Amino acid sequence: MRKANTSRLAATGLGLGVWLALVAPAAVGAAPRPAPHPAPARFVAHALPPDLATPAQARPPAAVQARLNELGVQREFRYAQVESQPSAWDLFWARFWRQVARWLSSRSYQGFWKWVLYALFIGAAVFIVLKLLQVDLTAAFGRAPRRAALDYDTAAENIHELDFATRLREAEDTGNYRLALRLGYLELLKKLTDQGLIDWQPDKTNHAYLRELADRRPAARAPFGELTRQFEYVWYGELALPAAGYRQARAAQQQLGQQLSPASRRAAA
Amino acid sequence: MDPLSSSDLNQPDSFAPAGADALPTPPADASAAQASTADTTFAPRTDLSSLTARTQAVRQEISRIIVGQADLLELLLTALLADGHVLLEGVPGVAKTLTAKLLARTLAVPFSRIQFTPDLMPADVLGTSIFRPAQGDFEFRPGPIFASVVLIDEINRGPAKTQSALVEVIEERTVTQDVQAHRMSSPFVVLATQNPIEQEGTYRLPEAQLDRFLFKLNVGYPTLAEEVQILQGHHSGFGSLALEQVQAVLSAQDLAALRQQVGQQRVEANVLEYIAKIVGQTRAHKALYLGASPRASLALLNGAKALAALRGRDFVTPEDVQFLAAPVLRHRIMLTPEREMEGGTPDEVVKQIVQSVEVPR
Repeated sequence: MRKANTSRLAATGLGLGVWLALVAPAAVGAAPRPAPHPAPARFVAHALPPDLATPAQARPPAAVQARLNELGVQREFRYAQVESQPSAWDLFWARFWRQVARWLSSRSYQGFWKWVLYALFIGAAVFIVLKLLQVDLTAAFGRAPRRAALDYDTAAENIHELDFATRLREAEDTGNYRLALRLGYLELLKKLTDQGLIDWQPDKTNHAYLRELADRRPAARAPFGELTRQFEYVWYGELALPAAGYRQARAAQQQLGQQLSPASRRAAA
Repeated sequence: MDPLSSSDLNQPDSFAPAGADALPTPPADASAAQASTADTTFAPRTDLSSLTARTQAVRQEISRIIVGQADLLELLLTALLADGHVLLEGVPGVAKTLTAKLLARTLAVPFSRIQFTPDLMPADVLGTSIFRPAQGDFEFRPGPIFASVVLIDEINRGPAKTQSALVEVIEERTVTQDVQAHRMSSPFVVLATQNPIEQEGTYRLPEAQLDRFLFKLNVGYPTLAEEVQILQGHHSGFGSLALEQVQAVLSAQDLAALRQQVGQQRVEANVLEYIAKIVGQTRAHKALYLGASPRASLALLNGAKALAALRGRDFVTPEDVQFLAAPVLRHRIMLTPEREMEGGTPDEVVKQIVQSVEVPR
């Protein structure tokens, strides 16, 4: 195996040499040549004057050697060969890379890509499972969303569990007509839900119910709209509601509930 | 119909009382209010007739030029009454700048326009101190920001230092120069337009600056019928002359009085809690990296009060809060990278949050 690698390297080197010998000069030759300098109109050559200076005297070899000896004893020119010992860290990495090279040149390397493929499949499977379980992987890397714990419950009353009769009676007895009107309106919403005229959802507003009711019972739009307006003025607008006003509003609520009841609808049909 | 099933939370059709499915709108004039029961008048206890008339006049003036965009106009008027600044975002050519200019024209107050460019310096916006050789001292020359209605066009093309210079003036309404604070006049409204950050040469504004805008409004394309109407208008000679015909119908004093009236709107305790819950949910939502600040809660409250007044009520309903949730929150929250990669948008998350909180009733 090592022999094969050596011969492969030799072939690569040979190829590079051929390229340098044949292709590179051609590439250089193919480069655009600079334009020739334009010659003056009249070119006159002048002869240089003769060099009459005294020729330099070479030092005699003995003097040079003496000077070298003189410099050689100086501290600045005494070079010492420091032999460095590899550290434990260097030895570790050298050993590590030797092992890697040995493994790459071993027979087990032949199945390398097979193991890479297996690893990719396993990684993908783990990722899918974590995603399905909705595990937040980013929290492990520090950039986790800053989430504050809610100190309240986002869901409050369920109109299907309220005892309207009792609570309405309590509110009326205590003169809390604002609360009584609210309970009456919620009771109406429950009736409409039970009859399938609106689809009760905690996040829906009164206007959403008005639209739903108007689609299914157009005739109920106006009276329910008026009852909704009364509820909003009293509950959200904190409008003071006297007993007489409450009785009228309550009667209108009961009347609409009665009109939309299955029995009334059957009678009307 | 789900109140938030609309693709854009700005669409008032799913919330607003206007339209065929809406509640009967009470007369704004308390004296003309109808009595629903023998002893009780279900009508505003404060006289909102002036507010309704003046805001209707503004709408009419703007509608002379702008086709459609009823939601945008309502939200701009809401911001004006709530004393807030507005960031308008939309692709080029959807009349963002024109709408802002028209709104400014309907107000009889000083107006200035600043075109943000990559080489704009803070002094170009705020002003600078000039040396007076005769007196031997420096004199502050106010910049174009010193106006009552300031239109900042393409705000997200400006450099970071100029954006930072705006932070103080937008929130505190003062400009500090040479250790001296210069207070802005009232009203002071910044209407900024920007192209989406996907556009070439635009940058996301800093969170601190975004938080100071009451609303971020997405300006969408017109409907087919509206676009045909636009084409008909231009074909029949609509031009700059029409822009000149827009009259100022609201003075600074009028606006101050209307704002005072908006400040007196009633807000029931459960509605306050509803606002706090919605904003609080943004801090706990798993798709959000950054939730909204208490400033967002205040913005939602003030906006809802103004919207309720515009709609002829003297109290806030959860409907108002739901309608304004997206314009108030969409620029104040940051999606997690995973949610962004999944193609999620802030509006979708706001919609989920609103759906997760029970309406107080």
